[in-house]
Amino acid sequence: MTEPHAANRREDLRLITGRGRYAADWNLPGQLHACFLRSDRAHAEIVALDAGPALKCRGVVAVYTGADAIAAGYTQFPNLMTFKGRSGAEILKPARPVLAAGKVRFVGETVAMVVAESALAAQDALGAIVIEYRDLPPVVTTQDALAAGASQLHANIPGNLCFEWESGDAAAVARAFAEAAHVTRLKPITTRVAPNPMEPRACVINYDAASDSYDIYSPSQGINMLRRQFSVLTGVPEEKLRLHLHDTGGSFGQRSAVYPEYAAQMIAAKQLGRPVKWVASRSECFMSDSHGRAIDITGELALDRDGRFLAARYEFDCDMGAYLTPTGCVSHLRNPATCMTGVYRIPALYGSFRVVLTNTVPVAAYRGAGRPDIAYAVERLVDQAATELNIDRDELRRRNFIPLDAFPYKTPTMGVYEQSDFAGCLDKALKAADWNGFAPRRAAAVKRGKLRGIGMATVIEGTGAGIYPKDQIAIEFDAQGRLMVYTVSLSQGQSHETTFAAIVAQTLGVAPEAVTLRQSVQGKELIGNHTGGSRSLVGAGSVCKIAAQKLIEQARPLAAEELELEPSQLDYAAGAFRQRGGEKMIGLLDLARRHAGRNPHPLNLVAEGTVGSTFPNGCHIAEVEVDPETGVTEIVSYVAVDDCGNVINHSVVEGQIHGGVTQGAGQVFGEHAMYDRGSGQLLTGSFSDYFMPRAGFIRDIKMNEHPVPSKLNVLGAKGVGESGCTASLPTLANATLDALRPLGIQHLDMPLTPSKLWHAMQAAKPE
Amino acid sequence: MTKIEITVNGARHSREVEDRTLLVDLLRDQLGLTGTHVGCDTSQCGCCTVHVNGRALKSCTMLAVQANGAEVVTIEGMAQGGKLHPVQQAFTDCHALQCGFCTPGMIMAVTALLRDNPHPSDEEIYHGLEGNLCRCTGYINIVKAVKQVAQTPR
Amino acid sequence: MFEFKYLQAKTLSEAGAFVAANPDAKLLAGGMTLIPTLKQRLAQPSHLVDIGGLPELQGIEVKDGRLVLGAATRHQEVAASPVVGKALPALAYLAAQIGDPQVRNRGTIGGSVANNDPAADYPAAVLALGATIVTTRREIAADDFFQGMFSTALEEGEIIVRLSFPLPQRAAYMKFPHPASGYAMTGVFVAETKTGIRVAVTGAGPGVFRWSDAESALAKKLHPAALDALAVAADDLNEDIHATREYRANLVKVMAKRAVQKLLEN
Repeated sequence: MTEPHAANRREDLRLITGRGRYAADWNLPGQLHACFLRSDRAHAEIVALDAGPALKCRGVVAVYTGADAIAAGYTQFPNLMTFKGRSGAEILKPARPVLAAGKVRFVGETVAMVVAESALAAQDALGAIVIEYRDLPPVVTTQDALAAGASQLHANIPGNLCFEWESGDAAAVARAFAEAAHVTRLKPITTRVAPNPMEPRACVINYDAASDSYDIYSPSQGINMLRRQFSVLTGVPEEKLRLHLHDTGGSFGQRSAVYPEYAAQMIAAKQLGRPVKWVASRSECFMSDSHGRAIDITGELALDRDGRFLAARYEFDCDMGAYLTPTGCVSHLRNPATCMTGVYRIPALYGSFRVVLTNTVPVAAYRGAGRPDIAYAVERLVDQAATELNIDRDELRRRNFIPLDAFPYKTPTMGVYEQSDFAGCLDKALKAADWNGFAPRRAAAVKRGKLRGIGMATVIEGTGAGIYPKDQIAIEFDAQGRLMVYTVSLSQGQSHETTFAAIVAQTLGVAPEAVTLRQSVQGKELIGNHTGGSRSLVGAGSVCKIAAQKLIEQARPLAAEELELEPSQLDYAAGAFRQRGGEKMIGLLDLARRHAGRNPHPLNLVAEGTVGSTFPNGCHIAEVEVDPETGVTEIVSYVAVDDCGNVINHSVVEGQIHGGVTQGAGQVFGEHAMYDRGSGQLLTGSFSDYFMPRAGFIRDIKMNEHPVPSKLNVLGAKGVGESGCTASLPTLANATLDALRPLGIQHLDMPLTPSKLWHAMQAAKPE
Repeated sequence: MTKIEITVNGARHSREVEDRTLLVDLLRDQLGLTGTHVGCDTSQCGCCTVHVNGRALKSCTMLAVQANGAEVVTIEGMAQGGKLHPVQQAFTDCHALQCGFCTPGMIMAVTALLRDNPHPSDEEIYHGLEGNLCRCTGYINIVKAVKQVAQTPR
Repeated sequence: MFEFKYLQAKTLSEAGAFVAANPDAKLLAGGMTLIPTLKQRLAQPSHLVDIGGLPELQGIEVKDGRLVLGAATRHQEVAASPVVGKALPALAYLAAQIGDPQVRNRGTIGGSVANNDPAADYPAAVLALGATIVTTRREIAADDFFQGMFSTALEEGEIIVRLSFPLPQRAAYMKFPHPASGYAMTGVFVAETKTGIRVAVTGAGPGVFRWSDAESALAKKLHPAALDALAVAADDLNEDIHATREYRANLVKVMAKRAVQKLLEN
């Protein structure tokens, strides 16, 4: 499965000609438009709310508030927590309203919804709603939220602490630390960021009274999970919810959940008997689309006198925002725990976790979902230890890698790593980056007045295990006998229409154009996972291969009948059944066409498979130059060596790495969803204040594949969608700190902005 | 309300619009040309880029009434006679799009850049794309696509 | 945005009379500042009077040792103009740094100067070059024009018609862009004019200002090193989540030195 494919994707034609169908592109006859009144303060009681004046505005049809959502019974936001915490405690769940009832808990929280004949009329009426708040003190950091006497967000969550959890062996770790020759300590926090896919959220909802059911058009990462969440939240049975999901303009974990706005629209659509459409502005997205990362990490690494890792210990304070999202907790607990050992053999490991609520936008999974965070923490600690012990950074890593013969490797916490070749990735990267030739480049940079640094990260991550017990793929032949493949996953840029079709086509030995993928199609009931956690290709994609193999076997007796032979007399190869030792043959697609029109088509089938986590890993090396006059960091070189197992489509893999690396780089050098500590106001509410990478930010990424095929799925593949982020966060931080280390600077938190670096360099100057 | 005449992708349209209607809303909502996208509200993302009288601009930052009498080209007007514009072709050849949301605006911006400067340097490409955000591709393949068009003799 | 009535002015005097008679009316040229402001509902004008197409406000020409730009000249026109490129290349360079290509196709010099955003680029050039702002009522010297954040000497109903730049011997502009917005976090325009060296700084403070210490030092020696001993007081500079005032003070000095270096190299 490693043949290179042409870059042209099946999805491209419609997208480059403006014929994509994103949620905001839908218009239903008779539709009304919704607009949301959002809280302009971080923490307050709603003293009074009078929608009356808004109702009198031109074009306004209705106004909905928290009471309407409660009356509709829309009160139970879904949560995916499946495990218990310390002392067997269940997670304390905050109640989340669809429209605020009595209290607001973050700037941007939905308070009321105006429905009008036009979007402008609805926006015009927003200002007429009369609302009176009684401010409460906000808490926007985990530290403030956990402090004694802190303002409480929810009555049922004392101390704003939802959940405490641990993984590993605290006693074994304590013993190891007591005997250690050296301990390295660091607080490698990951900042809160806004995923910012380019498509703002939008939703169109129609209610059909005759069948008491809903049609929903929204962005998504997969029909099953989203529909189930709609059902849990609203109590409407899944069979009464029809989701029409087409193109999603990026997601990165942000759009897998049901959002309160959609539920409010359902209430209106039902009551008013007309479709209700809502399109978010970017400003609304900044203050209501889930944020990512935001983990305050404290780490310690214990080493013996030979630089061997004896133990590692972490504390994770996870800022989840004002309410729990379905994916936030699970991602930020289980994922760091699974990869807490990094790529190293560390005999004793322990992590303790706290899930904390603050008066900020709720946090959910964001590209990597906790794995970039732990990779960052581990790799910053390792670099720091190398510096403190004066051991070369590549040597310290190499000394501690889990060796080739140790796989499958059961880590001290949760994870079982599959076969990996960490040293192989490292060697390839060192060579590609000319690691050993760095000194003269640094010297040359000094002559140009720049501080040059080189940094690396060797990382691993566990891709999503999936929340459904299996993934199903259906193969069906349409009325013309054309081969359609159905999945319930949904690509938001990951090119599945190209890769899944290619997997089926290649297994069958037919041209890729003969196979068409349909994703998350309403009415095609299949069990399967959404697209997230880098698991679609290894999960649903593997089942595509299984389905194609099943198709061949299902077709064999039909082919035999067609050729008037016994099935055992047929061989299948290159798209056709051929008589062994004879002349007769029939192409598979030809056979399918001959049976077109039969209902059901005799070759229709459903295949299934179960794939858990895979463990992509790699080594990235970057070189940066810091301008001491301005603190600006330029990325001058970036090398990526990735083991994502067998590669189905090199171009797609490269694109995923490009995008992931860039998102990580954005976070390292400037992205930060910032709140004012005193008022809880969101300070970065638009692209005028929130840094986004632009063209030229990273000029080139030298890609190298180092595939160690996975034994965990029939494709031999390991997921790659998030690897870029997981590696680039520590790689670029390590490179930049390497540039500054000659000045005596040890550690700086992201974002490494020009202002921050300049101040650090000034402070480091001798008096 | 103001009556305007506007030519979009070669077709003349006559519409009555509220004065505050943005050009992008006219295109999307009244003319059904949903290929032009809205990605932000501070005129920074470039998803809404179209050509008006031969110049690329952000249709979210122009009133429809300001385009009265103008010739507008949107992404839907780029392919001619069933044949992709070279910039569209280069985007698919170079895997310069993933989710596709920024792509129409990006294609319009790149086309304008190459019209003004048919053989841009790397720096000129970065400068020319400062008005367009992409979250999926990391821009590297977009720059490759620009170079592919620049290097193709026409 | 809120509702308003759009009018296309047929003449400059009609436009001036209208806004004088309707204090809630606003002038529209490029709209690159006004339209985003209206979209955020931060302003509620009764009328928008479009003057962007008025012939009286167009034109780029060199006359009597001065570069004269019509107020409605787009940034892109200034950036690409061979006339500007020959007479005042530093201005063409500055115009090419404003916003992005799409913004440059719409935004106008008159609009930028009348708005006086503390982080806009043009005010630095206008002030450093000692330009004359010609309005429908009078001529205003640059030194008298800029009066603080978003504040100028323009009276109600007074419209900028053209900007007249005396041609310097040499000039240069260096800009440190804001990482998110692309505006000037600090922009320094240095000009060798008939009245001496002028240094104007935008983006760093509440409004564009001349750095007189730098002007004196450079008058003695026109070289970046002449600024080494100087410091900009940080107290009056802007501070925000992206940059402290001390950092901005540093940028003023660094960008000024780089501008001088560039001036010498041209």
